[in-house]
Amino acid sequence: MDTIIKVENLRKVYRLGTEKVIALANINLDIHKGEICCILGTSGSGKSTLLNMLAGLEKPTRGHVYLGKHDIAQMNEKQLAKLRQRHIGFIFQSYNLLPALTALENVGMPLLFRGVSKHKRNKQAAEMLRRVGLEKRMKHRPTQMSGGQQQRVGIARAFVCKPEIVFADEPTGNLDSKTTKEVMNIMVEICRQYQMTLVLVTHDQEIASYADRIITLIDGEVVSDVKNHSILDSVQPISEFHEALYQQEQEENAAAEVVGQDQTLPQESAKDPVAPSPEELPEEEVQALETQQTKQTTGGVLQ
Amino acid sequence: MKISDQIIMCLQNLFRRKVRTLLTITGVIIGTCAIVVMISLGVGMQASQDAMLAQMGDLTIIDVNNYSGRTSTGETLKLDDAALRTIQAMDHVEVVTPFYNPSAWGAFTLVSGNGDRYQLDMYQVVGVYPEALEKLGYTLKSGNFLSSTQRDTIEILMGYYTPYDFRDTRKKRNNTVQYWMSDGEDMPDPYVDIEKDKMTLRINNTEEGGNTIDVKVRGTGILEMDSSKGYETGYGVFISVTQLKELEAKYNKLNGIKTDPNSDTGYTSVKVKVTDMKYVEEVQNAIKEMGYDTYSMEDIRKPMEEQARQTQMTLGGLGAISMLVAALSIANTMVMSIYERTREIGVMKVLGCMVSNIRSVFLMEAGTIGFLGGVVGIIFSYIISYIINVFGTGLSLGGGYYYAGGEMVKTSIIPIWLVLLSLLFSTLIGLISGFYPANRAVKISALEAIKNE
Repeated sequence: MDTIIKVENLRKVYRLGTEKVIALANINLDIHKGEICCILGTSGSGKSTLLNMLAGLEKPTRGHVYLGKHDIAQMNEKQLAKLRQRHIGFIFQSYNLLPALTALENVGMPLLFRGVSKHKRNKQAAEMLRRVGLEKRMKHRPTQMSGGQQQRVGIARAFVCKPEIVFADEPTGNLDSKTTKEVMNIMVEICRQYQMTLVLVTHDQEIASYADRIITLIDGEVVSDVKNHSILDSVQPISEFHEALYQQEQEENAAAEVVGQDQTLPQESAKDPVAPSPEELPEEEVQALETQQTKQTTGGVLQ
Repeated sequence: MKISDQIIMCLQNLFRRKVRTLLTITGVIIGTCAIVVMISLGVGMQASQDAMLAQMGDLTIIDVNNYSGRTSTGETLKLDDAALRTIQAMDHVEVVTPFYNPSAWGAFTLVSGNGDRYQLDMYQVVGVYPEALEKLGYTLKSGNFLSSTQRDTIEILMGYYTPYDFRDTRKKRNNTVQYWMSDGEDMPDPYVDIEKDKMTLRINNTEEGGNTIDVKVRGTGILEMDSSKGYETGYGVFISVTQLKELEAKYNKLNGIKTDPNSDTGYTSVKVKVTDMKYVEEVQNAIKEMGYDTYSMEDIRKPMEEQARQTQMTLGGLGAISMLVAALSIANTMVMSIYERTREIGVMKVLGCMVSNIRSVFLMEAGTIGFLGGVVGIIFSYIISYIINVFGTGLSLGGGYYYAGGEMVKTSIIPIWLVLLSLLFSTLIGLISGFYPANRAVKISALEAIKNE
């Protein structure tokens, strides 16, 4: 019930002249509501393609992407625009703020597209800017702000509509390590507060450590899909460690299905009350467990 | 997106690129000016022609004659009361009346005063439908028009100068009132006040000293002279056509003149007044269809108007060329602006801006350039038009004003329809020029636009 993004047999092939480039081979994924999910990969791994496809910016060669119950590969331009307007927020690496507009106007833009009145728009945008700590910069234009401040404006813009899903494409790619931490903390905090789903694309393992779940892509294929607990030593795709865990969890899982008990592990729930996660598991196991958990939802339209 | 927000966004975008917007608008201003001023010259030309024609005659009156008395198939054609009723029943016909002149010359004389001292030979007696004169647009200097109902007394209505035709029979020389040296207020009184003095109509006998018949008549009034309506308004005597025919019958009987009713082809001259100038051609054609000969100022006006229109088209076409250049410059500006805003448009799309909103903002921008150019262009056109009218003597068009019968007509006239039309046209040009760029903006791939550089 809690799956908000479902990816089925997703394949994307680009043609470069006569050559075929397989960007995504065959992806199957379920992303759950409230999850902070990181798609990790080097450049050329297909991570950005996957994100674009999840957001409906690109059409898949084959397969389906469901946001809630909508198959976005089947939607037309207008429906996609409506979908983005209502349910999706975007954070970009290069911020993509409109240079002619002030911070307040930039943040109010998604509301503008929804036809919210100027008064209401400014009120909500101001509130969001306060939330990201830019209450003194509302009337500033992007060129008058530092990179970190610009990205915080970008974050406020993505969250201002309280969307169910926020996509972030290398959100800290242009920032130094100190601002990266600030920005990541703000993003994660807001997501947790409103129980939003955050899909984050990055090549940086440090960034991935903020996520609940890390999906690693290599050459267009998911090579690992793990629940985060101590990311830095766990990210070793298809290690023996994973194999061992897989065996162990399978047994536990079978037991849990009989008993029907909550599988939340105490050390995880302390860190993350919204999306309680078991030990890192191979993909299928995690999903099997997740379906049994009864999480509160914010009652989003996508559900 | 709300319409108001779209408008604000459109204006913001235009304002952001002030210089370019201004330059593009200037192009439209020049185009609008060219068209409006050129057409205004054409309109001025036509107005002067119309003024000239109006001086020559009433543009809404058709003269109908029955010269041949035969239809095209050779049958006898009568222009009688029945035919007149048919014409009267046509659409847009205000009034029809015969202008009937009795065939006998000098048949009637008006006499007045003691011992028939003052006498007037009615050479210009015209029989009309009594109710028609007012509708034909005749105006009174004094008194009333012929009453349409009364039939017992014979009523007469005189032209402006007709009363001066009374002779004083007691004088041998200078026996009429000399009026032609005076004008307007200073006009001397004629011998007879036709509205007050008793008058008698005498049916003459062609033989010297033969019997005459006297009939009592009443003068109802005097017409204002109007040369465009014909000389009758100055020198004629109007009588109801039925009464005039009765008088003529009495004269014929008195003088033993026989008439052949079979050779009678009805009235020789009939006037038809049409409700508006624009229907003249239609009515005239319908009457021609009946087999009669017609004549109206339309016959002159039509070719003149045609020529004026051609001149207008030529002048307007010259103006349109500069408008075409302006249209290209709008399109160019918008395409440039799209290149600059590709990223912005992409971001807007990703953030959920509807494609239709993007299109309408772009169209609005182009339309606004056209509209503003039109507004300012019209203002400038008025200034240029004023300058032409006041100082335009050097122009080959022959000075700032055309003189048409003493009435001054401006060389350059900007009627309200031209203002509205050019405003509509310039806005439309803007929209059309913006159409291609707007569609391009819509087609921008959001993904391409937001790609990290």
